[in-house]
Amino acid sequence: MKITDACVFPYPGGDSSVGRMALEAKSLGFDRLVADGAQSGEYYGIEIFSGILVRDTSVRDLINRVKRERNKDTVVSVQAGNNGFNRSVITMKGVHIIRGLHTADKYAFDHVAARMAADNGVAIDLDLSPIILGSGFTRQRAIHRYRDIMVLERRYEFPVTISSHARSILKMRSAREITGLCSLIGMDIPDIERAFNGVDTITVPPLPAVKVI
Amino acid sequence: MSTRPPTLREKRRYLLVRIEPEGTIIDQKDLYYAVSEATTSLWGDVTAAVIMAAVVTSDGQYAIIRCQRGTEQDLSIALSTVTTCCDIPIALRMVAASGTIESLREKIRRIKTPLKELSSPPECMFDKKMFQICQCNSQKIDVIEKGFKNTNRLFLIREDLEEP
Repeated sequence: MKITDACVFPYPGGDSSVGRMALEAKSLGFDRLVADGAQSGEYYGIEIFSGILVRDTSVRDLINRVKRERNKDTVVSVQAGNNGFNRSVITMKGVHIIRGLHTADKYAFDHVAARMAADNGVAIDLDLSPIILGSGFTRQRAIHRYRDIMVLERRYEFPVTISSHARSILKMRSAREITGLCSLIGMDIPDIERAFNGVDTITVPPLPAVKVI
Repeated sequence: MSTRPPTLREKRRYLLVRIEPEGTIIDQKDLYYAVSEATTSLWGDVTAAVIMAAVVTSDGQYAIIRCQRGTEQDLSIALSTVTTCCDIPIALRMVAASGTIESLREKIRRIKTPLKELSSPPECMFDKKMFQICQCNSQKIDVIEKGFKNTNRLFLIREDLEEP
């Protein structure tokens, strides 16, 4: 199992270079980072996956954007919208992760979308930044949404990823701290281990159920 | 009021935390307010009263935080939500938990502080801009852009620096 932080924003999106974030991730117990806008590579034994986050765009623009990235070694994430948008994103080939469900409306991710995510191997990201940085209503809403997502995850078994959305090394949290924070949303140790390994599930193509000879 | 016998005293645990970024001077009282606010915000008044967090010492890079025995996990989760102290961005990294302050002091003594390398010039170039080095520790380099407009700290490594 490779412990992965599924989204960080190195410089220029944040105040820390990708190398420094990798160095920090190593001391915090991670094996891999998905870095937005960075080149794929390896720093200090930490594997860096290049990632892009597509947000505030129409479905048509999104299709073009995803097509451009399809053959590259990039983790493509899309900011969640309303229910219809999310369902069409889930069925789109080349999309790996849907992010920001805590900011989307209440019915943005229902049982139908959950089943589609499981069928298409699209992960749902649990962004811990509203729990770490937020307070009051923002934090409560995020915890409530994530608890709801975890109920659907246990039923439909779609991939889940965990990310800190850190724009600085000071916002990064250790694997142990993340385990503690995830316990707030009702995740137990096997759930957390699965979520840490979620990026593997979506980047490695699934083996065919039937082998054609 | 006389002190209670040991069997009637409340059992306590002490957490050793490292304050990042390195070189940040945080007053003990300010750190207590930050920890207390984070605990109350996350767990509410009732659980915060059970945890009873208090900053025992805070000198330089390390701080020792006290709590009731059995609430270490709750306190460490609350500590991971501390992001600022007096509007200074910080992070508290938990190092160890113990039943005595002395064992944590011993641990601080054992953790060898890496020598500050002064071989680097005080100024450097990154992303075609001039920066002033404010902290330098083996591979890690913290810089602040020269001038008065942008005083944000950037966290880099040696390989990121460019030749002027």
